[in-house]
Amino acid sequence: MNTETTRREMLKGIALGAGTTLLTPFLGQLAAHAAGDEKTATRKRVVFVMQSNGMSPAHLLPSGLQTPRGGRWSNATLEELSLKDRTLHSSLEPLTPFKDRIALVQGLSGRIAYSDHSTNHGALGACPANKGPMAQTIDSALGEALPGLFRHVAIGYGGSTDSMNYSYSASGPGKNVPIICSPDLAFKSLFGSVAEGVGQKAFDRRTNLLDFMADDVKHSRAALAGEEKQKFDRYLEAFESLRDRQRELLAKKDELKRYAPRLGDKQTTSTSSLILEAQFEIATAALLAGITRVVTLISGGGGQRFGSFPEFGIPDLHGIGHGGSFGGKTYEQCFVELRQFHTGLIAGLAKKLESVKEGDGTMLDNTLIVYLSDSGDGHHPSLHEWPVVLIGNLGGKLKTAGRYMRFPAYGQKAHRTMANLYCTLLHAAGKPRDKFGVADIGLKDIDQTGPLSELLA
Amino acid sequence: MIRLCCVGILLLSGALRGVEPAASNTYRDVLAPLLKAHCVKCHGPEKQSGKVRLDDLPADVARDSARGLAVRDQLRDGLMPPPKQPRLDDAKARAAVAWITANTGIRAAALPNQGNLIPHELLFGKPAEAAAPPGRFWRLSPDGYMGLARELTRGGTPPGLLQPFTLVPERGIRDFAALYTIDEPSTEMLLRNAEVIVELQTAHEIKDGKVSGKSKGSVPDFLALMDPATEPTRKHLETAVATQFRLAIGSPPSADDVTRFLGLYDKCARAGDRAGAARTMLQAVLLRTDVLFRGELGRGKADGSSRRMLAPAELARAISLAMRDQRDAGLMQAASNGDLTTPNQVAAHVRRILDDPKIDKPRLLLFFREYFEYGKAVDVFKDKPEDVFKDDPERFKHDPRVLVSDTDRLIAHILAEDKDVFRRLLTTSDSFVNYTIGKNKKTGKMEPMRANVPPLPGRKDKNQQPVHGPEYVYGFEIAGWPAAQPAPLPKDTRIGLLMQPSWLVAFSTNFENDPVRRGRWIRERLLGGTVPDLPIGVVAQVPNDPHRTFRDRLTVTRAAQCWKCHQRMDELGLPFENFDHYGRFRTSETVLDVGATAKHVDARGKPLGPVMRKAELNATGRMDDSGDPKLDGVVKDPREMLHKLAESVRVRQVFVRHVFRFFLGRNETLSDARTLQQADRVYVESGGSFKALVASLLTSDSFLYRASAVVSQSPPTSKTEPK
Repeated sequence: MNTETTRREMLKGIALGAGTTLLTPFLGQLAAHAAGDEKTATRKRVVFVMQSNGMSPAHLLPSGLQTPRGGRWSNATLEELSLKDRTLHSSLEPLTPFKDRIALVQGLSGRIAYSDHSTNHGALGACPANKGPMAQTIDSALGEALPGLFRHVAIGYGGSTDSMNYSYSASGPGKNVPIICSPDLAFKSLFGSVAEGVGQKAFDRRTNLLDFMADDVKHSRAALAGEEKQKFDRYLEAFESLRDRQRELLAKKDELKRYAPRLGDKQTTSTSSLILEAQFEIATAALLAGITRVVTLISGGGGQRFGSFPEFGIPDLHGIGHGGSFGGKTYEQCFVELRQFHTGLIAGLAKKLESVKEGDGTMLDNTLIVYLSDSGDGHHPSLHEWPVVLIGNLGGKLKTAGRYMRFPAYGQKAHRTMANLYCTLLHAAGKPRDKFGVADIGLKDIDQTGPLSELLA
Repeated sequence: MIRLCCVGILLLSGALRGVEPAASNTYRDVLAPLLKAHCVKCHGPEKQSGKVRLDDLPADVARDSARGLAVRDQLRDGLMPPPKQPRLDDAKARAAVAWITANTGIRAAALPNQGNLIPHELLFGKPAEAAAPPGRFWRLSPDGYMGLARELTRGGTPPGLLQPFTLVPERGIRDFAALYTIDEPSTEMLLRNAEVIVELQTAHEIKDGKVSGKSKGSVPDFLALMDPATEPTRKHLETAVATQFRLAIGSPPSADDVTRFLGLYDKCARAGDRAGAARTMLQAVLLRTDVLFRGELGRGKADGSSRRMLAPAELARAISLAMRDQRDAGLMQAASNGDLTTPNQVAAHVRRILDDPKIDKPRLLLFFREYFEYGKAVDVFKDKPEDVFKDDPERFKHDPRVLVSDTDRLIAHILAEDKDVFRRLLTTSDSFVNYTIGKNKKTGKMEPMRANVPPLPGRKDKNQQPVHGPEYVYGFEIAGWPAAQPAPLPKDTRIGLLMQPSWLVAFSTNFENDPVRRGRWIRERLLGGTVPDLPIGVVAQVPNDPHRTFRDRLTVTRAAQCWKCHQRMDELGLPFENFDHYGRFRTSETVLDVGATAKHVDARGKPLGPVMRKAELNATGRMDDSGDPKLDGVVKDPREMLHKLAESVRVRQVFVRHVFRFFLGRNETLSDARTLQQADRVYVESGGSFKALVASLLTSDSFLYRASAVVSQSPPTSKTEPK
């Protein structure tokens, strides 16, 4: 057996099972094609939008509903309403044009991820908050189920000046997916090599450099053995992978040029809201250009990195979490304003997808947007419930047509958790799983497995 | 349990270096009979206490490492068998622990915070022989990478440079050589950074057809390659490659390297843009493994034994980066002169750097930051304290950054005096208090001043008292800010680093003290003990009963299944109940008076709000199973506990073990016993000099020598039984 092939295969295995966001071009797609599921592989897409500092359950209530006394629901069965004749809470108002494609989901718990503030990996992993990447998170799992040139694009605003964030997403135990928090870096990673106007010469130089470096690292590792050799293997694989992708991107040059966003000053901005606008534009363009099918967009960086929006007169998100007010606005007004900003960005993304035809419908028809907070139901979350907004039905696989759904309350026999939601998404994406993350021991007498049949079409 | 790490960590497998796998039949001879005799009765086919079954634990324990490690932790910490059952034979238990550790195969004991798995007595128990660890590559630290970029551009951090490297989000010392490699996202950043750096190195302007440097970072040897009018000669190109090698690596390229790099230039230049081609060639040098990894293979001359000393170039970098974020010019010069070939030559340079106050050595302070972890205070959000300034909470501002900088200064002060350093760190009654050095606006001179003088709130009352600064937390009153610092703290209140407000805040939660984590810190960092991680699925919460003291509420951990582990932590952390979670000294705790609150109603019986009362404070604790019989027993308060700890030989040696981990970038193994014993001896004989301790470690066998196995075809293994 050719040892070089073996090594590369092994490393690709690691990358596939684990990988770091922008890894392994086409491998996933090849796998999907090999499985004969071309339609599945090319149509569905999922976008996660995760905003820091909690999502008040009250923001999910459409007109006519009120939070019960004491703040907690106690329904023993699923309760639901049609959104048809109701208006959305003002914080979700920008989503109104998509009201008939929305499911507002209440009552799913996530106590296993309990933490002071952000649940970090617990939000997308349905696992403990502060133990690092214990297992694959749902965004990465869907990236495997819906492969693209970039298996999973993870970008956003990390609530700090760091260009990378490692707090939320993981492709396996111990394998963080880096989330790119600089629009400049995100743009260059996805579109840069062919679309930013660098000439053919620069493109060729980069290809030469990647070739040369792959060779140079090979040279250095030749004499090594054991663990030290493995360190260099990973570095070598990085150059080889970048070089391979360089070629694949070249093949998609026209689409990339067509869809590459023109970000202007936003590409290098340090203003939080502009960073988010840029990242949403980049994510939208990546979906339109067809270079990825799974996107994670974050606002806030885990822990207590909620971020800051002085441009809205809200400099301290921690402060509003503790009832602070700014510029004459109450904390609740601040929360609503921030949510309107984020739902406005989501609406913009949905609108773009809706404007592009795909098959008999539009791209939005094949898309699901999952909007939640990494702090669940509040700044200091209880996680007895974890409010989630679902937009779109993933090619008809989900029943999200204008529904407000309140699942049975925590502790009730028919209670369901975020893990059940994530199983549902995997069922809908064609890679069904009936267990996800770590079970909540507080619910040991309740069946925590399987999808939410009420949501599956 | 198994702490699986992240961020560009290498997946490693196979047996660990340094942890001694006992003979392969240990399972048959030791573990299997041990399980059968002591465990299977309760964890077997008939009964599975705690849902744990052990009779079917596979002999190849790596196949079920989670269960294997669970058994190991129980045995290691003496948690099983339960107290009323027959005791295990110590030697057999130790052999079983060592065997499981070596055979679970997930770098067990190689990760941060796992160094204490090697029993202390095995390292300090008896004289040890010299040994050399295997060669290795150590990826630059995040600070080391930025230092390199500064060196290459001869200035501050180049604008636009991204930090490509991160460290595992672990407690304590975490830059371990074995953990880090370079993954694809990091590589992308490195590629961009190489462009940024070379852009600065080749910054130029052309006047009258002549190319000249434009920035401080411009490298004269590169400018000839930027001239659009003239094609560079081979000589120009060779010189440029050699210069970039010298700048980035510190040694000249081989003839083969020169040929290959010029080949890259030629390939790129064929398209026409010669300057672009030259930049690409220069960027490639910056991406080499020998730039981004610190090689410690032992390429020095053989001394007749199986080990090799690090080569001068390896040593120049290793010694520099042990203490600094960039290379030391004197060491680089010495290496290129062919010095640094004997331990004595190395020692002279180590002392030179340590003794020269003009040479910045940020990593010395970084060690203490990672060891004590007081810097985490800034990550713990605190609301304003409403208890004391209920009527006017604005008048006290919690400012953790100042608290941390006070502790930094205290450490720097103790290090500057360099006497009895560790004992003073634990017991000094001096402190810097809300302190900084700034310019006096009147005199224009630099002088000590209050770091945080919050502005008076915009109130109408002009006679209002000034705002309390952080000095209030230390126990000083409004007018009591001590200008001469370090200042003695109010008597019988607090001593040492662990009673600095920064440390107390770092080891607190948003609203309360955290005796459990405080206790764990002492168990691990001072006593050299271990505590299993919180079991997955346990949501640890102290009941929120406002009428009970925190100590009283924490009794929730006394339940048998919790106490197994909590007995190793809680009593060590409870003496710090002498302080509140802002770090303020207190002699009583404020709790809800249930009876008075019930009676606190208006004429119509409407509640008028909670009434608080002062509950008696208990600041006692216990040290049990410490490993030093002189320590075990009750302590009446945190000060007595720290005085006792500071006198303990074991505690001092555990400190030395941590210093080792930081400067060697790995956990100690049995083969480092001689290095550790020698470092401890040097520390004691020097009167407690931290510099002497560091110098001893940086000139030890463990630092200077390598077994040459890393270049062989099979990974090194050791077959020694634990002694």
